[in-house]
Amino acid sequence: MTGAVLDLRPLAPAAIVAVTGLVVLLTQAFTPRGKESPSAPLALLGLAAALGSVWVLATGPGRGSVLAGALTADDFSLFFHALVLGVAAITVLLSPSYLRANGMERGEYYALLLFSTVGMLGLVSSLELVSLFVALEIMSIALYGMAGLDRRRRESQESALKYFVTGAFASAFFLYGIALLYGATGSTSLVKIARSVSVLSPESLPLAVLGVALLLVGFGFKVASVPFHMWAPDVYEGAPTTVTGFMSAGVKAAAFGALLRVFDSALPALASQWQPLVGVLAIVSMVVGNLAALAQTSLKRMLAYSSIAHAGYLLTAFVAAPLVAGEAMLFYLVAYAAVNLGAFGALAALSRDGREPLAVRDLSGLADRRPALAAALTVFLVSLTGIPITAGFVGKFYLFGAAVSVGSMGIALALVGVVMSVVSAYYYLRVVVAMYMSEPEGEDTWGPVSPASAFALAVAAALTLLLGVWPAPLLALARVAARSLIQ
Amino acid sequence: MNTHLLSLLVLLPVAGAVLVALTGRGSESLQKAIGLAVSGATFALSLLLVAGFQDVATLQFVEQRPWIPAWGISYHVGIDGLSLWLVILTTFLTPLCLLGSWSSIEKRVREFVVFMLLLEAGMIGVFVALDLFLFYVFWEAMLIPMYFLIGVWGHERRIYAAIKFFLYTFAGSVLMLVAFLVLYKNAGLGSFDIPKLVAAPVDPALQTWLFLACAVAFAIKVPMWPFHTWLPDAHVEAPTAGSVILAGVLLKMGGYGFLRLAIPLFPDAAMRFAPLVGVLAVIGIVYGALVSLVQPDLKKLVAYSSVSHLGFVMLGIAAFTTTGVVGSVYQMLSHGISTGALFFLVGMLYDRRHTRQIAEFGGLKAIMPWYFAVFLLISLSSIAVPGTNGFVGEFLILVGSWSFSPWMVAVSSLGVILAAGYVLWMVKRVFYGEVTNPKNQGLPDLSAREAAVLVPLVVLAIVMGVASPAFTRRIEPSVDALVRQVRERSSPVRAADTVPPPARPPGEVRP
Repeated sequence: MTGAVLDLRPLAPAAIVAVTGLVVLLTQAFTPRGKESPSAPLALLGLAAALGSVWVLATGPGRGSVLAGALTADDFSLFFHALVLGVAAITVLLSPSYLRANGMERGEYYALLLFSTVGMLGLVSSLELVSLFVALEIMSIALYGMAGLDRRRRESQESALKYFVTGAFASAFFLYGIALLYGATGSTSLVKIARSVSVLSPESLPLAVLGVALLLVGFGFKVASVPFHMWAPDVYEGAPTTVTGFMSAGVKAAAFGALLRVFDSALPALASQWQPLVGVLAIVSMVVGNLAALAQTSLKRMLAYSSIAHAGYLLTAFVAAPLVAGEAMLFYLVAYAAVNLGAFGALAALSRDGREPLAVRDLSGLADRRPALAAALTVFLVSLTGIPITAGFVGKFYLFGAAVSVGSMGIALALVGVVMSVVSAYYYLRVVVAMYMSEPEGEDTWGPVSPASAFALAVAAALTLLLGVWPAPLLALARVAARSLIQ
Repeated sequence: MNTHLLSLLVLLPVAGAVLVALTGRGSESLQKAIGLAVSGATFALSLLLVAGFQDVATLQFVEQRPWIPAWGISYHVGIDGLSLWLVILTTFLTPLCLLGSWSSIEKRVREFVVFMLLLEAGMIGVFVALDLFLFYVFWEAMLIPMYFLIGVWGHERRIYAAIKFFLYTFAGSVLMLVAFLVLYKNAGLGSFDIPKLVAAPVDPALQTWLFLACAVAFAIKVPMWPFHTWLPDAHVEAPTAGSVILAGVLLKMGGYGFLRLAIPLFPDAAMRFAPLVGVLAVIGIVYGALVSLVQPDLKKLVAYSSVSHLGFVMLGIAAFTTTGVVGSVYQMLSHGISTGALFFLVGMLYDRRHTRQIAEFGGLKAIMPWYFAVFLLISLSSIAVPGTNGFVGEFLILVGSWSFSPWMVAVSSLGVILAAGYVLWMVKRVFYGEVTNPKNQGLPDLSAREAAVLVPLVVLAIVMGVASPAFTRRIEPSVDALVRQVRERSSPVRAADTVPPPARPPGEVRP
């Protein structure tokens, strides 16, 4: 920093969210017993204010990097700010009725959600590996707590523990990778690393490559790509459903954001080394994720494997040039966030008296009983399959289009991707079959959809269709954001 | 008006679907009425296309506006002689389907009407799209309503059939998507515009792969032997309206895809693979006919006969002479009319008796004379008796394919004879003889509503049989231009080892 005054404006969104988290905790503490604290409205208010500050940063002055270049508010990080805050807001809307139905109305839930959001915001705006690691831990530790919040359910406990152990494992890889890169380049700043990796001496090259590989392992855990995916099905299944939705949409977006920034802005000089690795990860993720999802009868496990498969689709674009890849991946992350929040949200919205739809056949005849919800869930599933006129199709089109642009390796990736999409159609459609083509079983025991949940699901479904029909504006934004990455 | 006519045709059914979706659960008559009114209005509107169509090869009613500029994707629609009548066929059959299902669809009427209208919009979209991305969007989006039509309102094995239909067609089309992306990147035009891409040459080695990827997608849709196995299940399990749309329109998209995309985009590969396509077509003709011969189930018989009839379409396309291709387009239309009508007729019988087994019937001629009359006439048109629509298409195809391969024509003619066999034998078993099954006594003849569905089809079957030039003169200029363009492009003088272009076959019969 050269200026006399410390300009902290780029940190405004994260600061607002963090303060809101503290306020939520305090309000909870000072609310008399037996009364409900207004945690959800407060959280929403804070997220809205943070979104407002993102808007101000995006349209006005105040951008740039702070804290000795550790964090930045460039177009790329602002794009992800908006995405992550949107994901958090939708999760908050979906939460109250789910928490009530499962007897876990506690203010900590919202506080943890907000703290985790702060971590995600930091993750996508870090220009320096140590602060990136700190942000990663802020995000993860809050999530470990959220996963285990349903104290009475053993699955929830198991989920939290598994997530914590594997998460810690991944963090170790990550740190080791940072250390090796530091050893090879003498810096943890992405800008400086970018400068030194292009002129590496032959002795330090293996060090750098190993460091990059370990970073990739760390990211692989976070985005749940095969072979670092083992935790995902258990954690997704055990965690409270709204938390699962938040994890699958938010963590994936933030981790991919950081991955893009680190690899495309700091390590493009080593692209020839890491791109084949990424290609392999993409292929095994798509194949294993989709084939394993075929065998699932549990809805949440199926969506967990589908999330692994989608990490694979996203990685296919990563082999392309940074601008093309970034643009396609940013668009896809938005589409995927809307769809996944919607899918998990629809399951959460049906929850009642500690029960929620777990197996595919629990949804039998849903179209007769909750026509609007069934229609929305169908939109999400169709989008996950990648069929027009949904955001999922346009997203896949760009991802595979980006991959194809690099030649035969990309074409191979795209071919695996489309073939696996066909496989995925089978298990997604099974849910549609249950909802529309099977007779309802037994009494209608699912809960009524609360207005807040209905609103959140309607927003997600509308966004899914809108992006499918009119993707140009978001695509233009994604392009601007991706461009700031390579400057 | 003319510049937006095609967009209106796509949007009107969508608007209707939204309107129906907003109605309440109880108002089923209203939902059906809206569906019928909207699809009827769409048909009326589509007739403006016929009125304003010039008998030239150029694209007409063109509308183009940017859609996703970053990728050079535009909303580009237009029609020529290849697509004009297919659009009309779509708008013509949809209201008939809604009318025909008036009383046979009892559950979830609202959803049924919504899906029918969305399906109509998708089908029209496929035929008018002039941008690869737009084409693919319509092509795929259409799968969803069809999947629901089969899966929700179908017969006993409907779920199996729906999933099989979906996976088969989806598998074919995703390969096509990759081919489009590779083509986009290779052409280097930064555009998905079909006319622009057709004008740009593609490396012959690459053409092979891209052609194969597209050809598989279209061959599944046609369906060509051996990609036909989804068809009997889907056709038999679908409700009547679904079967009519499947046979009447959806199958045509395969043939249309060959003519609009696969052949003009990859002319070298198309000409190289023409013999293979021809052989598969001939196998399909004979195979479909033989299997039809032994079907105990009426609907299955009609379904397999489609494999045979569509084999003729593909033979004409493989031959790729002007006469042959005009015949193929004509055969697509007339198959839509005849087979559509046959599915309606079988459906009406099923509504009365809840069986489709031929053995359950016999002697219906005396009980349902009007039904019999219509059935016989449509059967004759299906087996291509001169004076009916079927004859014109098959005749043009056989004549046009002679220069391509006389032996293929000879073997295909066998299919014509077999068709007469399986159809007339079926008619004999269902309608002639004594009434052996007491359940058939007192079956009501055609109702006014059923007659209203069938009469337009019967009239068209005859009009298309005797007044074919009214149709072919609009098809021919476009086909002729296409054939010339592809033949020129596929036999360039750039290499010494390429064979000289085959001269246009002498003595071609003008339709």
